[in-house]
Amino acid sequence: MASDFTQQIRQKAIELLENGTVECVIGYETGSDGIGARPAFIYDAAEADRLVFDNTCTHNLVKYLLNKKGKSTAVVVKGCDSRALNLLLNEKQIERDKAFVIGVVCPGIVEWGWNKRSQRLQKRCDWCRQHTPVVSDFMVGDPVTEQPPAAFADIVEAEAKTAEERASFWQQHAERCIRCYACRQACPGCYCTDCFAESLDPEWVGIRIAPAESQMWNTIRAFHLAGRCISCNECERVCPVKLPLSLLNRKLEQKVLELFDYKAGMSEDAPAPLITFKKDEKLGIAE
Amino acid sequence: MSENSAPLIIGFLCNWCSYAGADMAGTSRAAYPSNIRILRVPCSGRVDPMLIVKCFQEGADAVLIAGCHPGDCHYNEGNYYGRRRFALLKELLDFMGVERERFRIEWVSASEGKRFSKIVTEFTNEITSMGPRKAG
Repeated sequence: MASDFTQQIRQKAIELLENGTVECVIGYETGSDGIGARPAFIYDAAEADRLVFDNTCTHNLVKYLLNKKGKSTAVVVKGCDSRALNLLLNEKQIERDKAFVIGVVCPGIVEWGWNKRSQRLQKRCDWCRQHTPVVSDFMVGDPVTEQPPAAFADIVEAEAKTAEERASFWQQHAERCIRCYACRQACPGCYCTDCFAESLDPEWVGIRIAPAESQMWNTIRAFHLAGRCISCNECERVCPVKLPLSLLNRKLEQKVLELFDYKAGMSEDAPAPLITFKKDEKLGIAE
Repeated sequence: MSENSAPLIIGFLCNWCSYAGADMAGTSRAAYPSNIRILRVPCSGRVDPMLIVKCFQEGADAVLIAGCHPGDCHYNEGNYYGRRRFALLKELLDFMGVERERFRIEWVSASEGKRFSKIVTEFTNEITSMGPRKAG
């Protein structure tokens, strides 16, 4: 199946580059260890045979479209990535007619690292209810029937602790955070040119090495993605100290679904929950 | 806050209703504890979640946000946006170990001086009995 996907993506890439529909195809190629995939930028039809698709194609390539503003670009997206595309379209960060979307019905992505590949699916693939891309111009693979919404078992478990335990849990993780901001760099929703993390006046996140500063960063990063996170979980994957960032994102995802009946990235034009309101809604505060 | 000292509460009060309400509490001689440090903001919708997280990060024991009643916003809809944001932030803070009782949102109009004093008194008593914040 995977080799079939690869063939279809290559063929489409050649076609798009030769007839001039796009000037670049962003896809995956096999990395230098011969196992894991890495992002590939193909500008020439003759190079299209570098493109591959297999179960190590983990990156969310939609992020790269932000650097291709105004240029016609084709991008390979999985189900989760396609939600990121909708998010960016919704927020008017990219133009729909400049992006050619090669959607791949995702078979699930495995855990892998340098020179090794396991057969175990990534955590996000267990939660995933969007294997078929929600937006595409050309679909690779047959759309699948999605399962009913995932339970938030990990959130329920974390909530069962006392407030003190929760505070010390996050405190311990904050102590490990080195504030490299890899989570931000990988996130398709983090595209502000002036991030609050680098603001010096006001200095939201101080430069001293202290858990409090890291906690400020992690809390606000999560909150800035409230109602926007599309659960690709790239932040957690790229984290060098493996902070459980998905807990924060999924907690907010759960609440947004519960309070506002909203799931990010499912459509291009539904207004995000925090930029709209209903006058008579009951949100459980000050009532 | 150390074990024996009084709790520190930061209050963000909207200029048009709640700040005037606090003023009313003063002019009508309604007493309330001095644990609350009041910050005047143009609208409850102006209170950036980052400000609230920063308060807790810098050692506040509790945060109160007071704004115009829904429908009475000076800017028509500021408090509606704020309401959504605070509802979500409350959940996130609770999840990260800041108990939900420590973050309160109230609607106080300019004429509710007595009510403002009652809210602050009750809130201060509640936070005092909860004790200082633990780690985080």
